[in-house]
Amino acid sequence: MSSAATGRSLGLTVCLECRATVRQVHALAHPRCPRCLARLHERKPHSLGITTVLIVSAAVLYVPANLLPVMNTRTFFDDEQDTIMSGVLELLHSGSWPIALLVFIASIVVPLLKILALAVLLYSAWRREPRLRLERTELYRLVEFIGRWSMLDIYAISLLATLVQVQGFANIIVGWGAWAFGAVVVLTMIATRTFDERLLWDGPARG
Amino acid sequence: MPGVIVCPACDLAHRRGAPPLRGRNECVRCRAPLQRPEGKPVEIAIALGVCALVLLIIANAYPLVVMHVNGATRDTTLVGAALGLYDQDYRTLAALVFLTTVLAPLSQIVALLYLLIPLRRGRRARGQSAVFRLLLAVRRWSFMEVFMLGALVALVRLSGYANVVPGIALWSCALLMICLSALTSVTSPEQFWAWVEQKRG
Repeated sequence: MSSAATGRSLGLTVCLECRATVRQVHALAHPRCPRCLARLHERKPHSLGITTVLIVSAAVLYVPANLLPVMNTRTFFDDEQDTIMSGVLELLHSGSWPIALLVFIASIVVPLLKILALAVLLYSAWRREPRLRLERTELYRLVEFIGRWSMLDIYAISLLATLVQVQGFANIIVGWGAWAFGAVVVLTMIATRTFDERLLWDGPARG
Repeated sequence: MPGVIVCPACDLAHRRGAPPLRGRNECVRCRAPLQRPEGKPVEIAIALGVCALVLLIIANAYPLVVMHVNGATRDTTLVGAALGLYDQDYRTLAALVFLTTVLAPLSQIVALLYLLIPLRRGRRARGQSAVFRLLLAVRRWSFMEVFMLGALVALVRLSGYANVVPGIALWSCALLMICLSALTSVTSPEQFWAWVEQKRG
């Protein structure tokens, strides 16, 4: 496959919005897709740099997202603070382990997996790693697919905090952990978009 | 250059064949989908869009979850979830929830109908390209299916403390989720531009 014709070698660029094939994009100052008028780039501009910044920010915010309480439950008897993990444990003790597993995967595993996977992809794109390209592309597709599922707990918390406002009985107040968590979700979703997966294939192929 | 398809995922160039009748044509190198069926009538997409719009209105007009506790009753709607966060001064989080559960699904449906209804009569909507790109952008932030599971998690967590009843809106959210994913799959970018070119020619 070393002699495979690529869009770049033929002077062709694909519009990532409408999938039209456009000729000789780099000859123009501000190329736009003739069909849908989207901005065209041979590769997404500054992809590695921007994605790195977003991933580092997400990794930093992942710490308070997991350590700070995401919600505060105030009742007659006590004032209970829940982090994401303690919410999972509570679900587990109440006997609904499938739901506990779902929240654990969506809120703890998925964000961590996204950050680590994108870090690995950034590194291999930067090194122009010639091996295991198909596997890396598939990892990227997995990250793209699971990205949105981390919002699950934010929705659950927002519904709980809206419903449980019973005067003199129980109140649920949202915690800053939820804010940090939401930021992690948004940052990793944008990072997935700014990463140009074609960079994984740009170097010379081997093996 | 219509004779060549460049893979958007790995940049490999392919000779363009006819779009598949079902399934998809994949890139030979990275297996990204290159072509999907393009023969669907535009009326199917319009019907799905109208259906989704009705479901979205029901989902916002009726309570999502009703809770009975200590003789008191509380309920919330779809917008209520975002407003609850806003009331607790988490404005950015409220905006994120509002965007992903109300604004993005709504603008996704409205944009599609705005583009497709004139197209069916052989005309093009004003600002077609811009609206089309807006459509693709809001689609990425439309999280109805995630919201459904989040509501399920909230129901399970509350069921230990209070009597919770799923409302009509929750069922229409579930149908909306199915409707939106069908709508997204029949209106791929390739299909949309195939309709535009058909109606012009």
